[in-house]
Amino acid sequence: MYAAIESATLIGTTGVAITVEAHVGNGLPGFTVVGLPDEGCRESRDRVRAAMLSSGFDWPNKRITINLAGAGERRGGAGLDLAIAVGVLVANEVLAPEFVQGMSFIAELGLDGSLRPTPGTAPLVAAVRDTVAVVAHSAVSEASLARPEKLRAVRSLAELVQVLNGEESWPHLDDHDVPVEHDVVPDLADVRGQASARLALEVAAAGMHHLLMVGPPGAGKSMLARRLPGILPRLTEDEAFACAMVRSAAGMPLHAGVVTSPPFRSPHHSMSMAAMVGGGSAHIRPGELTLANNGVLFLDEMGEFAPTVLDALRQPLEEGVVHIARAQGSISMPARSLLVAATNPCPCGGGGPGTCGCQLPIKQRYFRRFSGPLLDRFDLRINLARPSTAELTSSEHGECSAVVAERVQKVRDLSLRRQGCVNSAIPADMLDEVASLSEDAMGVLRTRLDSGRLSGRGYHRVRRVARTLADLHGETGVIITQWVEVALSLRVSFNAADGTFR
Amino acid sequence: MSGSLMTARYPQWVYAAALAALPLQTYKRLRMLMSLGQPSEVWEALQEGERLLPGVKTECWRAWHAVPSQSLVEIAESCIDNDITVTTNRDSRYPSVLLGDPHAPAVIFSKGNLQSLHHRRVGIVGTRTATQQGRYSARHLGQSLAEAGVCVVSGLARGIDYESHVGAFAATGDIAAMPCAVVASGLNKVYPPEHHELWKRMGEEALLLSEAPPNAPAETHRFPLRNRILAALSEVLVVVESRSTGGSMITVREAMKRDITVMAVPGAVKVPSCEGTNMLLRDGCAPVLDVSDVLVALGLDTRRHAGVVDTREPPTATEQLVLEAMGNAPCTIDELSLRTNQRVVDVAVLLGRLEAKDWVGHVDGWWEALLR
Repeated sequence: MYAAIESATLIGTTGVAITVEAHVGNGLPGFTVVGLPDEGCRESRDRVRAAMLSSGFDWPNKRITINLAGAGERRGGAGLDLAIAVGVLVANEVLAPEFVQGMSFIAELGLDGSLRPTPGTAPLVAAVRDTVAVVAHSAVSEASLARPEKLRAVRSLAELVQVLNGEESWPHLDDHDVPVEHDVVPDLADVRGQASARLALEVAAAGMHHLLMVGPPGAGKSMLARRLPGILPRLTEDEAFACAMVRSAAGMPLHAGVVTSPPFRSPHHSMSMAAMVGGGSAHIRPGELTLANNGVLFLDEMGEFAPTVLDALRQPLEEGVVHIARAQGSISMPARSLLVAATNPCPCGGGGPGTCGCQLPIKQRYFRRFSGPLLDRFDLRINLARPSTAELTSSEHGECSAVVAERVQKVRDLSLRRQGCVNSAIPADMLDEVASLSEDAMGVLRTRLDSGRLSGRGYHRVRRVARTLADLHGETGVIITQWVEVALSLRVSFNAADGTFR
Repeated sequence: MSGSLMTARYPQWVYAAALAALPLQTYKRLRMLMSLGQPSEVWEALQEGERLLPGVKTECWRAWHAVPSQSLVEIAESCIDNDITVTTNRDSRYPSVLLGDPHAPAVIFSKGNLQSLHHRRVGIVGTRTATQQGRYSARHLGQSLAEAGVCVVSGLARGIDYESHVGAFAATGDIAAMPCAVVASGLNKVYPPEHHELWKRMGEEALLLSEAPPNAPAETHRFPLRNRILAALSEVLVVVESRSTGGSMITVREAMKRDITVMAVPGAVKVPSCEGTNMLLRDGCAPVLDVSDVLVALGLDTRRHAGVVDTREPPTATEQLVLEAMGNAPCTIDELSLRTNQRVVDVAVLLGRLEAKDWVGHVDGWWEALLR
């Protein structure tokens, strides 16, 4: 008559365990789902009924009530299908309650009774840690990321019932000792010339300084940005796991194993705000900002993004977390990524000096899209030019990613030991201690501040970049003038008066 | 014309301003109207619907006839409110240099001191999108000329015009002359808006003039007309940097029509904003390498003045290497690092120091040496 089955539902990027209660009793025949189900869950009524009939079970001609017990949050997802079906079977006394004791069921049902993987299998399985989780056979590799032990998989509902009734044994699972994979990331050695941009990339990677590249088409902005994951430190086990969880929650196909190269997300500029920060009404999905967590978020043609989308980046960039509030509740998702943006210097694309024919007001309008506060978030703002013939034809290859990555890793280790965070996150009150400047270096900054070319916020940011530059060159003590000067040269600003970067 | 003996209700300049502000007015029609008699008489005749000129279309007469007499008061008020002086070619204060010019404006709106035009006058024109070197040259030239007592005539546009005016205002010395700006819009319509400060200063301390009545917006067709006045006011016209087409080249043509000496500052080859000036030089225009070239062309004594002294702090030996590697065309840090065989970080530091000393400038990642 009554059954309680364990399952899980997805809220943001994390799974939450819930209990699916089923009751089959006398009354007008019908099937209702209560407990704030979402649209996808209400549809599961039809799927479950069809799957049961296809699998050769009787559909009880009685009143069936399903309750999704838990806190008062709207929940659902097709992943509850299997739990509902099992609940009905137990309540209808097809299955004995003791057979499903200590088990949880996470899969979507096909009308033919087959089990299908559901988006977010990994975080869902992680949410029901204490039980034996049953998932679709094709979702094993994803589920085993979260928990390789206490995992069972079957292909269909009929097979599941046979196994549970003891008529057959659980199908054998291949040993899924999660393989570690490296994505193939293009190498920095392919880039000819662009010495100053390489430097900026290295600094960005070493100190997690957000980077804005301004240059004409063909200058190699995207090419450079795509090589950034190759010089960033490999993800730790926890980070890689978190990354896989987010991907799973977003319903993206998971690689065969844990990927230790940092994610690289390059969304198209037509994206909506919900796609950037995450959103949705019933089921909040992670946005690009969360998908790029611990990796690189690359915004190509930043000027073409909707201004609201860009401004929505500001708060998450500071906090490393994105908060999304809806009428049903609010959730937080991780959003600690390295922001790399590229833009043309003007609508026509620009080129060498004097080749741009854009009127000043048009240029000004183009850059008005980037709010001052957003531009301020970029510690590094560089101009790029198309490489000259001399650079392109020089036989000298640049350094390869591995060499740079080694230096970057050293700086990361050093900065974590020294101040417990990356250089771009050094709190302002710690700067004097961690990034103390020589007398001359201070003088250079003071001149800049006095001339009004450096803001208060910029002052702190330049010091952090100078710290990273000094670290990269093996100077861990007081920062000398040279690094402050280089840091300043890596921070051009937009002049609204004449529409140029200087 | 009725030839009425009735005395005018307002001063003559009010009628002149109103005639200049008539709809469908052109400088040629205005010149002809002004040649017919006192502005008040012409105005009254137009009000009565008389067709005074041959060859003017009917719709034009209709429009002129339809202008309410109230517009006299309105234009007088906007001139007085904005402190704008109206000078006609019948006044003794009208710039004598324009008197003989067949295309000179019959009515001039001005702010500031018309006496500025009694100095020797050199026009400085150039592109709005100039290179750093071009801007630097314009500023330096403007200042040196003003210090030699020459009135710098320019158009208050972006780029070269702006720099030459700023340079002229920076001039010091006993005989320093104030500049003169010829603008296209009405004197109360600042264009481009970001030159608001300079516009104001020009009207207060120097001379700001236009043939457009107050409230006239900066319309495209007014700029070539402005350029003809600019050319007519110059004794020598110096083009600092110009594309192969554009406003500066129009000014050059206007100057050549009037047999005014045109000189050009040589620019880097293959830089688009220098194409026009280099073309002029190829066609036999005299080059300006130094302010003394212009002074000689004006017939001024260049010996009286001390030679140009570079007040900038000299570059150190290592900085000098970078400065020399830059040549005269814009280049990037990466290129410089290749040319000097130094690390990017070192080049960046040296450029930063040179910039602090005013030896180099950069825009959109392109660096240029600023040479005098």
